[in-house]
Amino acid sequence: MNDWEPKITTFLCNWCSYGAADLAGVSRFQYPPNFRVIRVPCSGRVGPKFILAAFRHGSDGVWVSG
Amino acid sequence: MLEYVEKIRETAIKLFKDGKVDVFIGYQKGSIPMMNQPVLINSADQAGLLYWDRNCGLNLCNYLTRRTDRIGIVANGCNSRNIVTHITENQIRRDQLYIVGIPCKGMIDHRAVQRAVKQQEILAVEEHSETFTVKGKDFEETFNIKDYLRSNCLVCTHRNPVIFDEIIAQPVEEQSGVDAYKDVRQIEGMDSENKWNFFTRIIDKCIRCYACRDACPLCYCPTCFVDESKPQWVGKSIDPVDTMTFHILRAYHCAGRCTDCGACERVCPMGIPVRQFTKKLNKDAQEFFSWEAGLSLDQRPLLDVFRPDDYNDFIR
Amino acid sequence: MNEFDCGLDIRAATSIKYAQAVPLAYSIDREQCIGCGLCEKICLAGAINYHDRPKRTELEVGAVILAVGNELFDPGVQEVFAYGKSPNVITSMEFERILSASGPYMGHLMRPYDREEPKKIAWLQCVGSRDTHECSNAYCSGVCCMYAIKEAVIAREHAHGDLEPTIFYMDIRTYGKDFEEYYNRARNEHGVRFIRSRVHTVNPVEDGNLEITYIDDNGELKSEIFDLVVLSVGFQVGKESIKLAGRLGIELNKYNFARTDSFAPVATTREGVFVCGAIQCPKDIPQSVMEASAAAAASSVLLSESRWTQTQIQEMPPETNVIGEPPRIGVFICQCGINIAGVVNVPEVREYAKTLPYVTYAEDNMYTCSQDTQVKMAEVIREQGINRVVVAACTPKTHEPLFQETLMNAGLNKYLFEMANIRNQDSWVHSKDPSAATEKAKDLVRMAVTKAALLEPLPDTELGMEPVTMVVGGGVAGMVCVKNLADQGYEVHLVERSEELGGQARLLNKTWRGEDIHAYVKDLEDEIEKNPMVHVHRSTELTNVEGFVGNFSSTLKNGDKEITLKHGVAVVATGGHEYRPSEYLYGEDSRVLTHLELDAKFIQDDPSLKDVQSAVFIQCVGSREPDRPYCSRVCCTHTMESALELKRRNPDVDVYVLYRDIRTYGEREDLFREAREKGVIFFRYGLQSKPKVSKGTDTLEIEIQDHILKRPVILRADLLVLATAIIPSEAGQLATFFKVPVNDDGFFIEAHAKLRPVDFATDGIFLCGIAHYPKSIDESIAQALAAASRASGLIATGKVFASGTVARINPMYCSGCGVCVSICPYSAPSIMEEGRFAGKAEINSVLCKGCGLCVASCRSGAIDLKGFEQSQIMAMIDEV
Repeated sequence: MNDWEPKITTFLCNWCSYGAADLAGVSRFQYPPNFRVIRVPCSGRVGPKFILAAFRHGSDGVWVSG
Repeated sequence: MLEYVEKIRETAIKLFKDGKVDVFIGYQKGSIPMMNQPVLINSADQAGLLYWDRNCGLNLCNYLTRRTDRIGIVANGCNSRNIVTHITENQIRRDQLYIVGIPCKGMIDHRAVQRAVKQQEILAVEEHSETFTVKGKDFEETFNIKDYLRSNCLVCTHRNPVIFDEIIAQPVEEQSGVDAYKDVRQIEGMDSENKWNFFTRIIDKCIRCYACRDACPLCYCPTCFVDESKPQWVGKSIDPVDTMTFHILRAYHCAGRCTDCGACERVCPMGIPVRQFTKKLNKDAQEFFSWEAGLSLDQRPLLDVFRPDDYNDFIR
Repeated sequence: MNEFDCGLDIRAATSIKYAQAVPLAYSIDREQCIGCGLCEKICLAGAINYHDRPKRTELEVGAVILAVGNELFDPGVQEVFAYGKSPNVITSMEFERILSASGPYMGHLMRPYDREEPKKIAWLQCVGSRDTHECSNAYCSGVCCMYAIKEAVIAREHAHGDLEPTIFYMDIRTYGKDFEEYYNRARNEHGVRFIRSRVHTVNPVEDGNLEITYIDDNGELKSEIFDLVVLSVGFQVGKESIKLAGRLGIELNKYNFARTDSFAPVATTREGVFVCGAIQCPKDIPQSVMEASAAAAASSVLLSESRWTQTQIQEMPPETNVIGEPPRIGVFICQCGINIAGVVNVPEVREYAKTLPYVTYAEDNMYTCSQDTQVKMAEVIREQGINRVVVAACTPKTHEPLFQETLMNAGLNKYLFEMANIRNQDSWVHSKDPSAATEKAKDLVRMAVTKAALLEPLPDTELGMEPVTMVVGGGVAGMVCVKNLADQGYEVHLVERSEELGGQARLLNKTWRGEDIHAYVKDLEDEIEKNPMVHVHRSTELTNVEGFVGNFSSTLKNGDKEITLKHGVAVVATGGHEYRPSEYLYGEDSRVLTHLELDAKFIQDDPSLKDVQSAVFIQCVGSREPDRPYCSRVCCTHTMESALELKRRNPDVDVYVLYRDIRTYGEREDLFREAREKGVIFFRYGLQSKPKVSKGTDTLEIEIQDHILKRPVILRADLLVLATAIIPSEAGQLATFFKVPVNDDGFFIEAHAKLRPVDFATDGIFLCGIAHYPKSIDESIAQALAAASRASGLIATGKVFASGTVARINPMYCSGCGVCVSICPYSAPSIMEEGRFAGKAEINSVLCKGCGLCVASCRSGAIDLKGFEQSQIMAMIDEV
């Protein structure tokens, strides 16, 4: 299990966190490549259904930021 | 509470005679003991069907949704709170309703009784003021009602109707000092693995009959998410993940709206304590927002509120 | 020789000048051309007219805007830097080209001498700036400190941290918005070494290395070897520009910059001729961009009568109906120079994309956003019958509109487009793990393709525009903005909280050029008051704002009176104020003043000033501190003005300035020099050894550690002036009303720090003045004009388009519970009163902002968000 890596589904608000993730890139911050970002127009767009669906489809974590 | 029966019938007859209602919704005796069922009557001469004792476990608000006629309805604390929710959520208008308030002292937990008689078939039940007697083929036993109340009734603090046009008896004393969330705190104290195991274990008997949903007065959507196919949120299999998805989402749809009427648990054919999913949300609503559902006609349900200047710091 | 790459490489006699050139076409370099004319014969398109000659064209115009920029200082004229002698002494512009992915070394950090990666690079600041020698320039070029720091940080990045960058400087002048924070990070986190020393000589030594001899802060002579030396060269006005100015008949100042007035910062001495950018004085991108818009605003006043008389309307091809067609997805993957291709295996991602369902075409490009790729992309869409487009490149936040336009040019609905962010959120952040970055890129492309297959064409809704502007804040910035809009012929409302207009400018004595601010503010106020297009609301608070670009409805409250103002756009010009310190005996001793308090004494000609024998200025009071990290930009210049004013009033007065870095940028440097010439004495202090102020017997005593004597010095003063920070006005409610962001320091955040310095990300709201960042009056005025220009640009078009990304309700699923009505911040949903679906909810797509809150809140699953549909997001989740 040592080389196990989690898969994290990430919902980022287009106006803040998605922009922040872009900025992290501009600033060349380095972070682990385990996230897969789904851009949403607002974190309010993310209902519990999406979160459960992400787990159902095998995500190890779900991150909603906005 | 048998003394209420005549009063309810008289009120219904009077409402029909005065032309105040087109339909009257109450309970009638069930086809088997301890299982009173909802009934809709359309005329005064059907009033004899109406009944009330400590076995009225279902919530009548399911029968209000989207009706367009004038309705008389009996309402104890739980029913009245769901009437409030129905009104605030546009499912019925207040001016369509004539609410016959009933002070309530709690309903009997038929499963506990069933266990007490070792699952023998109960053929008759007789209610007295503080006790009740169940009879079967070869047995007859009498129990104290207070020892066999449903768990939500034991911690109920809204036994009297919160909204009514007339009330058929003096209000009963509300219970005080009850510890409504002892069980929730126990679960909160578990680590996440034990929590997961706990909830996995309680639903492992679930057959996905959706009776809990159907009995819930909050579940009035034309199409439930479990029945949608584009996209299909929940699979149709007995996969535990699908079952858990259903239970979690059902609970979330009740967040800030649940009155803990206990209908879901009562109707579960598998005896799953489904209230464990909603109670935590009720506790959070109370602790974070001082909110109990169905108490005020002036406020939208807790999570329907958008306010940029919310007075709660943690949400801004 | 390729002059765009500063001569670091060569190019053919026929070439495209640089990758982003407009128009993107080949041209012939006549100086290199041998005259064979072969090109004309072999060009299959017959695009070459070999014997073409320069043509003279005459245009009739109402105004001229001069944006000719500057030249760089040529360090070859100063032999001491060994520029031209050693290939490893280069200018900062040459270094920019070296760092560029499309530059001579493809973005690999190498030095010209041996194409080896340098381990130690020195930047020498102020080459050709702040230097009174005959062949140099006395002014500060204003941008070199910041670009040198940026180059050092980026060079470290290109070298993967294995580089020692050193910057030799006199004062670090990071006075722009967020610059000081960048400087702090460069020093504390990125390992950039800063040495305060003016280097006089660079000596070439063996192996192309360079020896720098300098005197360090402790006065010790040191010598160090570097692999590469970058000369931070400044600006100077080119000879051609000087000739042009002569032809246009505009005056230049002693440095040959276009002469302007602080109160009309883009107007030259000749009416109708305007300037913007570095031809006026050295400046950075945001200031140049502001001035560009300002020049547009100023010329619009002259041209307002002829507006729309020579307009050409762009014809878009008719939209192809793709409904019912199976998806045919085209995937375009950007290398972004080496930004993506240097980490992600782009060909592998391209081949992978080809295997995905519905993908009919995939290609990769050097720069997918470049003009030629856009043209080609439109062709490919048409040829291949592509009906959905995926671009895997940078971020949709900056580039989605560009690609959507290309879709429209190809006849596709712009919503049939999806981006995969494989640069900002992949190659840049996983640069040390190329294989993981490549896998992530594939995943992101797969997710985007999956969503794209489900995309539907959506309509944009056209709406009217209320041709009225509301300007919030009646300081100089607000007033200038109002005046310009009114002069352009637009109705404008000015809302000022206090009784008086003018704001902080009423407290200021003179501009840094010595112009009288009071008279100016008075005139401005009079002009506004008498303009019939202007409505001034004094003592008025803004209590509510509803609506959106084109159709705002604001509530203005004056005492008990409330009015509702309908307006199409708004400008935020709420300004700021002086920081009132709690240190240095301020408030305890009447001899301790702030800048504005001293200005008040100057204005009143306070007799007590005559008795001042010794004055001390302390800089950076409340600025550049851990709690308030920004530089307040104007205080150094203000100190020079006030110090000189004291000297003018009494040449015998002793004036001391205690500073950390003197930031008299641009031509303001003249004031610094004049102050030194007039005998003002400067002491430097550090954040760790701040001056100590105490009351002596008759005078104030200020103790400071002298860095040359290395011992404490006590200055006795009867006047202590604190150069205090500028603090923005409380943004609170306003930010909420307009849904615009505010940074940690309380300044509003513009849409883009460089390219959109007066816009907000929210459409129809603009920003100017100190609410954006501390700035001097001329800069505030330029930004105010810029805001007016941006506002009028919207109003002039007379319409706005509402996005097709809106929520829609399926009434068959709706339970009518009203959650959507209750939670929508924009009041878009409502319950239908009548008709077949009475009691169910519907959404006004004009009001809908497409946030999707209602969609997530709808228990019944009756609402979906176009462009971010349940099925589309679920499909993406499925592909994570």
